[in-house]
Amino acid sequence: MSTLIDRREALRKTALLMGAAVSASTVAAFLQSCKATPELNYKPVFFTEDQATVVSEAAEIILPKTDTPGAKDVGVPNFIDSLINECYSAEDQKKFLEGLDEFDKNAIKVFGNRFIEGTPEERQDYLKKTHDDAVAAVNSDPKTPRPFILKLKELTMLGYFVSEPGATQVLQYVPVPGAYKGCIPLKEAGNGKTWATS
Amino acid sequence: MNLNLEAEKKNTYDAIVVGTGITGGWAAKEFSEKGLKTLVLERGRDVKHPNYPTATLNPWELANGDRPTQEDLKKQGVQNRTGYTVRQSSKHWFVNDLEHPYTETKRADWMRGYHVGGRSIMWGRQSYRWSDLDFEANAKDGIAVDWPVRYKEIEPWYDYVEKYIGVSGQAENYPYLPDGKFLPPMDLNCAEIELKKAIKDKFGRLLTIGRTAHATAPLPHTPWRGTCQFRNMCIRGCPFGGYFSSNSCTLPAAEKTNNMTLRPNSVVYELIYDEQKGKATGVKVLDAETGEQMEFYAKVIFLCASAFASTYIMLNSISKRFPNGFGNDSGELGCNIMDHHLGVGASGSLDGFEDQYYSGRRANGFYIPRYQNVGNDKRDYLRGFGYQGGGGRQGWGRAVAELALGADLKKLVSEPGKWTIGMTGFGEVLPDHSNKMTINHNKKDKHGLPVIDFDAEFKQNELKMRVDMKAHAAEMLEAAGVKNISTYDNIGGPGLGIHEMGTARMGKDPKTSVVNKYNQVHACKNVFVTDGAFMTSAACVNPSLTYMAFTARAVDFAVSELKKQNL
Repeated sequence: MSTLIDRREALRKTALLMGAAVSASTVAAFLQSCKATPELNYKPVFFTEDQATVVSEAAEIILPKTDTPGAKDVGVPNFIDSLINECYSAEDQKKFLEGLDEFDKNAIKVFGNRFIEGTPEERQDYLKKTHDDAVAAVNSDPKTPRPFILKLKELTMLGYFVSEPGATQVLQYVPVPGAYKGCIPLKEAGNGKTWATS
Repeated sequence: MNLNLEAEKKNTYDAIVVGTGITGGWAAKEFSEKGLKTLVLERGRDVKHPNYPTATLNPWELANGDRPTQEDLKKQGVQNRTGYTVRQSSKHWFVNDLEHPYTETKRADWMRGYHVGGRSIMWGRQSYRWSDLDFEANAKDGIAVDWPVRYKEIEPWYDYVEKYIGVSGQAENYPYLPDGKFLPPMDLNCAEIELKKAIKDKFGRLLTIGRTAHATAPLPHTPWRGTCQFRNMCIRGCPFGGYFSSNSCTLPAAEKTNNMTLRPNSVVYELIYDEQKGKATGVKVLDAETGEQMEFYAKVIFLCASAFASTYIMLNSISKRFPNGFGNDSGELGCNIMDHHLGVGASGSLDGFEDQYYSGRRANGFYIPRYQNVGNDKRDYLRGFGYQGGGGRQGWGRAVAELALGADLKKLVSEPGKWTIGMTGFGEVLPDHSNKMTINHNKKDKHGLPVIDFDAEFKQNELKMRVDMKAHAAEMLEAAGVKNISTYDNIGGPGLGIHEMGTARMGKDPKTSVVNKYNQVHACKNVFVTDGAFMTSAACVNPSLTYMAFTARAVDFAVSELKKQNL
């Protein structure tokens, strides 16, 4: 166990360092042509650079930097790369990559470019449309197999809300609560936000 | 000087306890506190309280969001059948299935860990007393054999173990679920209070907070234990000693006496039977690390290795006297496998209470005790079931299939979602001679020992009961105004309840049972079996508390018999 945790800790520290680096590169990207391929803030193990970029940019649209950190800041792209690499079966990996490829290429029909080649606005609009259509489909028929974009959304949310900023800034988390109060006014339940873990 | 004699003397104790789980820990404490030099043999590695490697890790300190990797699943695919045990935070408490295989003539789910403390580290901690409804059931139904004891005989032992381990619960004066010596109960939450009212009003049924082996108040007799901190990370081991485990409670008590020798990495594979004396003289042990074979000797031997493991040792102990397995004159050894059948129930969402929430993480739920086939209630199946369940407000997961994205998504998930509530049935399994385990000599584990083969299945009575288990769960939720109710029924294999029992059953008659009313092997008075193997029937409540009560009682009996020189 300890080696695994050590490794995770090392990864986490790397992600933090990379997170610091990304602010600079984001600024750089902004100064460059809008068409420039966005830069990655980590070295993917499972994805190709292009695949990793699609995941990374999509994750940041799903959970962007606001007054709290964004998906990229907290290492979500790295998390997804690792999770799919280590936890998915070969079959599920293949399905995920097919979905990712289709998501990237379908953008051609919508705005004339692959997702990865779009402007930030084009990527944002395309992802939102794909997402909203998927939500409508699964809500009209719960038996619909979960579309790729919702799988990606779920992975993004998972990676984000198990991260320290996600769990403690957007949600709330107390390592050692010390007591249980079963039925109290919401405003008295810590800061009233959703608990990160149950 | 005879070297063998010297070695024999060195390896001789008053008592040997095989296993360090819930019953082994209790036997170790009771024997050593009564002054017996006690050797406690554990097949797995040592684990010392409070050193549980993942116990205080935060969510962001666990790789892959705590998910199992493909590599984990290759090694622990069978252990993962529960769906909740093979996680980065808990997988080290479960065996490597490649090293410790078993075979399945029919599907069987044997979930276990090889380490000091055994499953007392990962257990569900729910602690309920049996009533005479349970002790009399076999006799009344003409099923299997009668229990040779009734509640009155066990009641003081329930008192004894409850006071020591600490059981949190609410006294309810419900006839079929006797009250215990409770520490303060935990709270029900808003949704659960609503359900409690509704099922009382509409069905006259009881819902109570789970009775659980958590210290909700200090336990002065074990000052090294703290109280429950409501972290709900129990399966990782609790460094506070907030719940009962062998590691936090009984083993430290035994150690304090200086009478206990605890030997980890000691795989007991056979009892040594002396044909002249008509007694067991000791056990054969394989050192799990060195492969060295050893023998240890004692006046009395307690098998507390878990139902299947203790039964395996007995089946693997062949002598002239016992050609079919140790103490197996009845032919019942290895038979009558029981568990609880579960994985059936319902859940849904409850409108309202939006300005209400909870704080802390309660490692407990509610309990609806058995109401079927009691009083005037008659069903088309025997026995019955209880429900365990819980309510809560939805977390971030609910927003995956909602329209929110970006800043809106953050805002949405930061507000708690709807209240949801659900319940799962825990049903009694009838003892059936045809549900059995045997030793399969064609397959070996990593030590070269033959493995267990399981040939057991749920039968008609269980399947009939499940129809009610599913329907009643939905009806009760509906009565409380729960919406979007969905039901489920995934029976799994015997063992998935992790309450395996019955394979060396207790009874009055040596011709039809393996142990007597004091857990003493009928045919060999100095060997006792006090883990789940002795169970003559299963009831529908979680069994560990009952194992503890019988273990403490059996040690008391064994020591008095030793003093009388009857063993």
